[in-house]
Amino acid sequence: MKFFLSLLLVLAITFASQAQSKLTISGTVKDTTNLPLDYTSVLLLSPTDSALVAYTLTNKSGEYQFKNVERQPLLIKATYMGYLPFQKELVLPDTDVLEVEEIQLKPILQELYEVVVKAAKAPLMMRGDTLEYDASKFKVPPGATLEDLLRKLPGMQIDANGNIIAQGEQVQKVTVDGRRFFGGNTKMATQNLNAESISKLQLFDDKSEQSKLTGVEDGVKEKTLNVELKEEAKKGGFGKVSAAAGPDERWNANASFNKFDKVNQFSVIGYGNNVNQSGLSWDDLQEFRGSSAFQFGDTGDFGFNGGGGNYIVFSGGDNEESFEIPFNNLNSGYSNNQAVGINYNYLKDKKDFSSNYFYSRSDQILKSVNSRTNFLQDNTSFTSTDQSRQNNVAGHHRVNLRFQNELDSANTITLTAKGRLSSLNTLLFSHQELIRSTMEQSQMDRDNQSDKWSGAFQGTAIYRHKFKKSGRNFAASISDTYSKADQDGTQKAIVDHLNSTDPNTYFQSLDQVIQALNGSNLIKSSLLYVEPIKKIFFWETFYNFSQSTSETNRQVYDVETSDTRELNPELSRFFDNKITYNRLGSSIRYANKGSNLSVGLAASNYRLNGEFSVVEGSEILGRVNKSYLNFTPNVSYWKTMKGNKRINASYAMGVTPPSIADLQPYKDISNPLYIREGNPDLEPEVSHSFNTGYNMYDPATFINFRFSFNATFYQNQVVQNQTINPETLVTTYKSGNASGGQRFYPYLGFGFPIVKTKANAYLYANPSYNKSLSLINSIETETHTYSHNFGANFDLTPLEWLGLYAGSSFRLSKTDYEQNPSQNQDIVNWSAYSNANIKLPKDFYLDVKFNYNRYKNESFGFDQKVPILNASFYKLLGEAKKWEVRLSANDILDKNQTISQYAGQNYVSTGRIETLARYFLLGLTYNMRGIEVKARR
Amino acid sequence: MKSILKILALILITTGLRAQNIVGEVEYRYKIFYDKIYASLPHLTDQERDRILLSWGNPDGYSTRMKLQFWPEKSLYTFGTPYQVQSYSWQVEDYFIENNLKEQTYLKYMDQMGKTYLVRDSLNAPKWRVMNEIRDILGHMCMKAVSEDPIKGQKITAWFASDIPVPVGPEEQFGLPGLILAYDINDGMLIVEAEKITFGEPEEVIALPKKMKGREVSGTEYQDLVQDFIQTSIKSKRAWMWELRY
Repeated sequence: MKFFLSLLLVLAITFASQAQSKLTISGTVKDTTNLPLDYTSVLLLSPTDSALVAYTLTNKSGEYQFKNVERQPLLIKATYMGYLPFQKELVLPDTDVLEVEEIQLKPILQELYEVVVKAAKAPLMMRGDTLEYDASKFKVPPGATLEDLLRKLPGMQIDANGNIIAQGEQVQKVTVDGRRFFGGNTKMATQNLNAESISKLQLFDDKSEQSKLTGVEDGVKEKTLNVELKEEAKKGGFGKVSAAAGPDERWNANASFNKFDKVNQFSVIGYGNNVNQSGLSWDDLQEFRGSSAFQFGDTGDFGFNGGGGNYIVFSGGDNEESFEIPFNNLNSGYSNNQAVGINYNYLKDKKDFSSNYFYSRSDQILKSVNSRTNFLQDNTSFTSTDQSRQNNVAGHHRVNLRFQNELDSANTITLTAKGRLSSLNTLLFSHQELIRSTMEQSQMDRDNQSDKWSGAFQGTAIYRHKFKKSGRNFAASISDTYSKADQDGTQKAIVDHLNSTDPNTYFQSLDQVIQALNGSNLIKSSLLYVEPIKKIFFWETFYNFSQSTSETNRQVYDVETSDTRELNPELSRFFDNKITYNRLGSSIRYANKGSNLSVGLAASNYRLNGEFSVVEGSEILGRVNKSYLNFTPNVSYWKTMKGNKRINASYAMGVTPPSIADLQPYKDISNPLYIREGNPDLEPEVSHSFNTGYNMYDPATFINFRFSFNATFYQNQVVQNQTINPETLVTTYKSGNASGGQRFYPYLGFGFPIVKTKANAYLYANPSYNKSLSLINSIETETHTYSHNFGANFDLTPLEWLGLYAGSSFRLSKTDYEQNPSQNQDIVNWSAYSNANIKLPKDFYLDVKFNYNRYKNESFGFDQKVPILNASFYKLLGEAKKWEVRLSANDILDKNQTISQYAGQNYVSTGRIETLARYFLLGLTYNMRGIEVKARR
Repeated sequence: MKSILKILALILITTGLRAQNIVGEVEYRYKIFYDKIYASLPHLTDQERDRILLSWGNPDGYSTRMKLQFWPEKSLYTFGTPYQVQSYSWQVEDYFIENNLKEQTYLKYMDQMGKTYLVRDSLNAPKWRVMNEIRDILGHMCMKAVSEDPIKGQKITAWFASDIPVPVGPEEQFGLPGLILAYDINDGMLIVEAEKITFGEPEEVIALPKKMKGREVSGTEYQDLVQDFIQTSIKSKRAWMWELRY
């Protein structure tokens, strides 16, 4: 140590530049008892910005020396553990040698150091004579006053009269943010200020008021306590209101409001329109749900799955069966939509609660024209057309609750509860025509109506435990889903009188009343245990159990006269079934340096039990009693490589049991045109899927490349064997197993900048091949579908005020019928889009979108072009740009309609829905946070 | 400044292990708050910032354990043992920093911006300003010092222990009259703080990979690459902090 310190003195520590008149600065550091302090850091700083100029340590005698210090204003600073850092400005001498007056370091009041700096971990700040620290680091109960806080602070006392004694002296005045508080009455301040709102306390000796006024130093110091208040705790709120209207009574309005602080998040949202928007936008949904917007993995299903990968599917539709809030949903037809929702989240410590309620309603009118051509075995075909007008009025109440509590670092519980209640009223008028040849035609008019109520509840509890040994985990889950649906309806059909007497006619006259009451309950439970072996191997064992019980009670009555109804025993059904699933599996995973290999095997057992009768309690028509045991292997490999490259390959075997309806040993003629016949000998469907993929992204050049290939082979695929009676044209479906079905899905994508930051391109191709098998009229039929699909997207952002986006995709689906080549179909879907966002001077903006879709099927002479041109012109108003006026024109060319095309195993169909076309809106928006302009996508 | 470091290093080296606290190992918690960083990107609107903090804000941040070993003549810095043994391995990136105080040079071997770089140059300490504030970290009284990184747009607040007179620290921070035990960037977008200090020769000295394959660049070349990367990302309205150590 001695050598070290002497060496330190010998060596000069300073800048090595060659300026003239270098300084040598030396001195000693002692404590208040005059003992030299060795090993003390002595720093030279620039007084203007505290920049570090040089530093050294003192020797055993407390001596320090700087040599060759450039002549400049300097501040010397000494710091030693447990002492208050000392600093003062140096007065530079005319000579080159400066002997600094002895520095005396004062120890930090031990209590202060122990309690403030060490225990409360509050930084201590020196400002001249002032010592300042962060009072918020001291825990006080809610509602505590400044006085309560002061009692906790070292060196502070509150005497019996409420006076503050700091370091033995009475505090003369209290200031808040530097200003006198109620005439400096200390008690007034200490007893009224809320401790939680205080951020810092400063204690110092202030000049007396007298000397402040006169400017004459009277030597009187007043002990002063300054209280600095916290800046308003993190709080925020935003909201927006928007309303637009146009000719033909078109309107669109929405409003939302969010308020949040650290612990609470609250939001309300609502919309209404008659322009087919029946969901929230993605951004609005995120804002509405706040911290609960991205919560996955709450299903409680553990273990590998048969598909070979885990996917999170975002689907925004307002589906009756879904518990989720609808988003990004544009209806077909004409609809009138309303919704209102409220969300509240509470996040504190390790507790996380979120809840929301959402009600959505939609009144939709669909006018559609559908055409379907069925092929018969003798190479003839028949075509049915359907012109319908449907009115759906649907309302959904949805409630979502979630609570997660991290009890301690080892245990976490997650509880979720979801509920929905829906009503659905449907009115359908349709006119169907059947054309076999110009000679044989018949027609039917239908008038159906149904009222349905349905409700469902789902509750899930998940418990996760981390053992002391890192990587050893246990998880258990249990969930129950209960649903009930009650439907009442009438079906009326009138067939043209020419054929109505023939009982085998394709169309039949009906006058029926239908009552259906369906209920189901699903219980699930899963267990998972993971044992790490040498930190790079993991042995995973899981067990899954589920049991679903469902009851379907459908009663069909023929209306004889206006008040006589008779149960139709052929169409009425009661069935009661139960599916029990047990799976036990285990896998070994290797995870190291980006490589992950998992090999596993599971044994699964499905037990299917069901009973069918006409009505509950009547004679049993059929029974299903099946049990399947399968062993399913699973292999997956993922590797992450340097340079953002990932490669993966996997094999998975999936087993899907036949549905109970497919097993039911009797004929179901509830739809007389499509008779379903069960097959009690069905085997479960087995799929073998192989997946491989590669993707890379270079963040420096923005080049990205993606490749994937998926192949699936089916064994015992459950297919519907169809028999069409050439006389009656009634189709009978009978389920059967067929092996040899295949699917191949390659994908290739390449993205690159044409001009970096200004123009980007993405090219892709995803051809596919699908081979499906079925028995049609007892002949094994193979259908091959080749889909040639490729496209390109371009993003051009050449200037700050201009964004251009364009792209196109082309798909040719060739469907080849092995046994009926003359019916081969070539279906073309071609689409192109372009989008221009232009920022004009004076906060004017113009967005123009053009979409073009073409649907073509040459063999039918079907060729439909749908060009859609939308434009909106808007201006932001006000200094903070919180207001927006927008004129938008939708479908300027008035061409909108919804088109669908499909080629099945022995039929081809096309459909057209008349959909809201050209409309104009003029609207006004107010956004508290300023209007968001999405100049770029 | 450079010569200060050099001479102080020389002093410490020549005194060898006489001073107990000039050799040791520090474990740091590298806690990053991607939500705050993301919300600070210049191209976002106020509402987008609120939306990000609201919907994917994480008050606990994302933690990684880092390890620094120091001697009077050098320091080594890399990843520490993970907090949790994970059954899925994501990490393939290397991140090594070796500061040689005797030679006044550094070597950085790291995967950044999608590539592996091997950066060698002479040490050039940030311009530190020493403030009048003290704080206790693991029983060491630390002083506050601040500096700025204009390229990344960062305000750095560091806390150094003057009783551990080794001018090194975690990540790219060094050059203060004591070991840097904690620092934070932009008031809490990144918080790096020592959790454990063990004095004396480390049991297992951090070993640089035997084969260091990567693009060899000088410190200034690397700074230019970083600057260009950040500027291009900002122009393209992309977030740069996913690909570059913050």
